[in-house]
Amino acid sequence: MGRAIVITSGKGGVGKTTVTANLGTALAQLGHSVVLVDADIGLRNLDVVMGLENRIVYHLVDAIRGKCSVAKALIKDRRMDNLWMLPASQTDDKDSVTPEEMRTLIFELKHQHDFVLIDCPAGIEQGFKNAIAGADEAVVVATPEVSSIRDADRVVGLLAAAEVPARLIVNRISAHLVKRGDMLSQADVIEILALDMLGAIPLDDDIVATTNKGIPAVLEGKSLAAKELLRIARRLSGMETDQRTAGVGFFTRLGRALGLSASPA
Amino acid sequence: MMWNGIKSFMTGRRSSEVAKGRLHLVLAHDRSGLEGGRLQEMRQEIAAVIAKYVKIDAEAVEIQIETRNRASQLTVSSQITPRNA
Ligand SMILES: Nc1ncnc2c1ncn2[C@@H]1O[C@H](COP(=O)(O)OP(=O)(O)OP(=O)(O)O)[C@@H](O)[C@H]1O
Ligand SMILES: [Mg+2]
Repeated sequence: MGRAIVITSGKGGVGKTTVTANLGTALAQLGHSVVLVDADIGLRNLDVVMGLENRIVYHLVDAIRGKCSVAKALIKDRRMDNLWMLPASQTDDKDSVTPEEMRTLIFELKHQHDFVLIDCPAGIEQGFKNAIAGADEAVVVATPEVSSIRDADRVVGLLAAAEVPARLIVNRISAHLVKRGDMLSQADVIEILALDMLGAIPLDDDIVATTNKGIPAVLEGKSLAAKELLRIARRLSGMETDQRTAGVGFFTRLGRALGLSASPA
Repeated sequence: MMWNGIKSFMTGRRSSEVAKGRLHLVLAHDRSGLEGGRLQEMRQEIAAVIAKYVKIDAEAVEIQIETRNRASQLTVSSQITPRNA
């Protein structure tokens, strides 16, 4: 039985689809069998980020309505041995499926694959509820900005209420802005959200360029962002641990040791 | 006053520190479901209650909500005016 992981954020445009595509590809590179599920019904994008947009015949809503089998709606990524994608429908809306139907679908996929990564739509309404329904765990993506972190905090609360354990990825970190004091660091974000950390992805031109081409950055694997995404994939699959996974505990302890408090001045 | 505290807290600091301070406050309000303005109303009511028992300067009553590891804490503090003042 595989693991279903939802990639979510609350705020839109922070990198959920980019992270889903790259982590899925990286997990497949590591030898796992992976299916990517686009749960952003009506605004699908995982297909174009993966470069699979021309191969779609059936989609998630077809599979749920029984218009085709789940297996038939999956698109096989030909660049990898063991990577599939289930596209969202572009013509339906978020409430055309129920959390119960999603749970059944994800359960079926978990039987056949090691990892089911679910690309969640922005927001905290029906689309979010559907996307988290079948998930065993969550990855919360946040950028180091006030509005993104605030929205992520809402999502963390909702995930806790739904009893879905969550870990954090900070995306689009700019090292020189952090150094200059004009961007929150990953340690700041961890401290504020009190969440375990999976990794911090730099703001990287390579993500823009590879996304233009429909090739996940990890397939080329050269950029800093690609390297960090590969590292996160190894960590997600339990192949790598280091002290940074200690997340909250570690940073809280460090903070105490340095005499820093977790609350404002 | 608390707002002066926040203002000085926000001026002359690196923007990331300002962001951090603002986030701590905004999340404390979001997590507790208590709006900033409502908190100030509560401050006035609490000041009135305290004033029934001891002599205080109502403006000197401070109220603060903060959060640590997702748990929120409400703190009210007030100076008491000396008896012979
Ligand atoms: N680390 C990064 N460096 C540079 N650009 C990035 C990075 N991560 C994401 N982007 C870019 O940010 C934009 C938004 O990313 P993406 O579509 O993955 O966000 P999303 O959270 O899925 O958005 P939505 O909420 O609309 O579904 C894209 O143009 C993407 O290429
Ligand atoms: Mg998206």
